[in-house]
Amino acid sequence: MLLELQDLVVSYGRIEALHGISLGIEQGEIVALIGANGAGKTTTMRAISGLRAAHRGKIFLEGRDITRMRADRRVVQGISQAPEGRGIFPGMTVMENLDLGCYTRRDAAMIAEDRERVFTLFPRLAERRKQLGGTMSGGEQQMLTIGRALMARPKILLLDEPSMGLAPMLIQQIFAIIKEINGQGTTVLLVEQNAQQALSLAHRAYVLETGSIVRSGTGEELLADPAVQEAYLGVA
Amino acid sequence: MNFEFLFANIGDLTVTGLSQGAIYALIALGYTLVYGLLKLINFAHSEVFMMGTFGALFAWQLVGLHENNPIPSVPMMIVYLLVGLVGAAVWSGVTALAVEFVAYRPLRRRNAPRLVFLITAIGASLAISEAVGIATGRQQFGMPDLFKTTTLVTIGDAHITNLDLGVIVAAIVMMVVLDQFINRTRLGRGIRAVAQDSDTAALMGINKNRVIVLTFVLGGVMAGAAALLYNLKIGVTRADIGFLLGIKAFTAAVLGGIGNLRGALLGGLALGLVENYGSALFGTSWRDVVAFAVLVIILMFRPTGLLGESLGKARA
Ligand SMILES: Nc1ncnc2c1ncn2[C@@H]1O[C@H](COP(=O)(O)OP(=O)(O)OP(=O)(O)O)[C@@H](O)[C@H]1O
Ligand SMILES: [Mg+2]
Repeated sequence: MLLELQDLVVSYGRIEALHGISLGIEQGEIVALIGANGAGKTTTMRAISGLRAAHRGKIFLEGRDITRMRADRRVVQGISQAPEGRGIFPGMTVMENLDLGCYTRRDAAMIAEDRERVFTLFPRLAERRKQLGGTMSGGEQQMLTIGRALMARPKILLLDEPSMGLAPMLIQQIFAIIKEINGQGTTVLLVEQNAQQALSLAHRAYVLETGSIVRSGTGEELLADPAVQEAYLGVA
Repeated sequence: MNFEFLFANIGDLTVTGLSQGAIYALIALGYTLVYGLLKLINFAHSEVFMMGTFGALFAWQLVGLHENNPIPSVPMMIVYLLVGLVGAAVWSGVTALAVEFVAYRPLRRRNAPRLVFLITAIGASLAISEAVGIATGRQQFGMPDLFKTTTLVTIGDAHITNLDLGVIVAAIVMMVVLDQFINRTRLGRGIRAVAQDSDTAALMGINKNRVIVLTFVLGGVMAGAAALLYNLKIGVTRADIGFLLGIKAFTAAVLGGIGNLRGALLGGLALGLVENYGSALFGTSWRDVVAFAVLVIILMFRPTGLLGESLGKARA
């Protein structure tokens, strides 16, 4: 197992947002986490990245307990996240944002290689190297946040709602790129409201409801599940 | 209002105003850096500066340079300047770090409310200045003369001395170096990232505490440079000099737009000029009144200061 959560509980003050969730992601998979607004998807991602402490339960990366590890150390260990709302540094250029993605790395040759890879995936970023992040369009910022997360050369890439606020055409494109990134060997944990697309893309998926995992299975299984269809796919 | 005096001496007033302002600006950087990062007014920064003036003095004493020594040769003067700079920067830097480790970091760990930080800052400031006051018997310490102050050039009625020119040039060089460091280097990028969005910065693998330490050191070193220039210009120091200088530098930071590095420079120079013009116009006892009146008026029209953007947003 590349990444594993065991009985994870996360709270905001007295409000418990995750009531003990367990999930696992194998090397090379795309795993989707779907759920309604406020279900706890972002909270899960923040806990995995170490931005929110676990109240109870454990997080393992390649079998090592990282539950108490600082957020910045987890990046070095191979967890990289493109956060919800994109988290672009608005006053920095595209290049500076990308350079922050590899802040912890010193291997100049490999960094240059990864930068080329990001520019191949997102040619728009190559054209806009000098533009300030804050002046990029929503779709461009989404490309930038994913590209930046890739610059860490992660073992696992966490994507929190990469399709949020994008036109259908662009959503298709982003999902195709996620598939391509995965094809190049990066494991992906994908949080999405866009359940149809996410389930079609993912090898496996979990359904989160108000802080608990209520279903899991392969993408196809969940797409065919009547309860999932009714709640998340708009099928009456 | 003595316009005649003002206009008769406008050149000299400008030169001394700029060199005074350059020192304010260097100290102002420390307020602005820490504010940009932590949204905290580090009132103890005034004492970081004060410690620097003693740091330079100690360093000189250590190498055998005392108040009444004759003026050294030019090569020795350069050596002594560097010795003084190192002494001041180290003492200021260590003081800044001590404040961060002893006072602020434990509060951050406990998620203390902002008001607690403010009270702690004021407390740390008083504690340091009183401790030094007791240790030095509240005496005034004279500085050795490193060079003879002479007029280099006269432009119109302005007499530009080697001292004033040196202070202005040194301060601007320090600021350009800092600006380049913040805007062009990897570590500088890390500081800006934490200032803009510390959670996302953590997702980049940036250790926030390390960035904070670096920022306190940078602010301390700049205050140390200011302390050296102050020693050269004023020629004496005391344990209680931090208070007024600190308030003035803080004013300069707010005037320029707190959180903005270039604002600190502009605010410092502007404050130095306004003070000097004001005291010529209304008499020296009105100096501080004029300075703060101008601050209030400018903030009425530009509440975020002259340049008014944050460290995070500031671009090269
Ligand atoms: N900083 C916070 N303080 C208090 N409660 C919070 C905080 N952040 C999230 N919550 C609560 O935790 C629960 C889970 O929020 P979370 O952001 O993880 O949901 P989500 O599944 O990502 O939703 P969305 O699809 O809208 O992004 C919600 O009830 C939310 O109100
Ligand atoms: Mg969310």
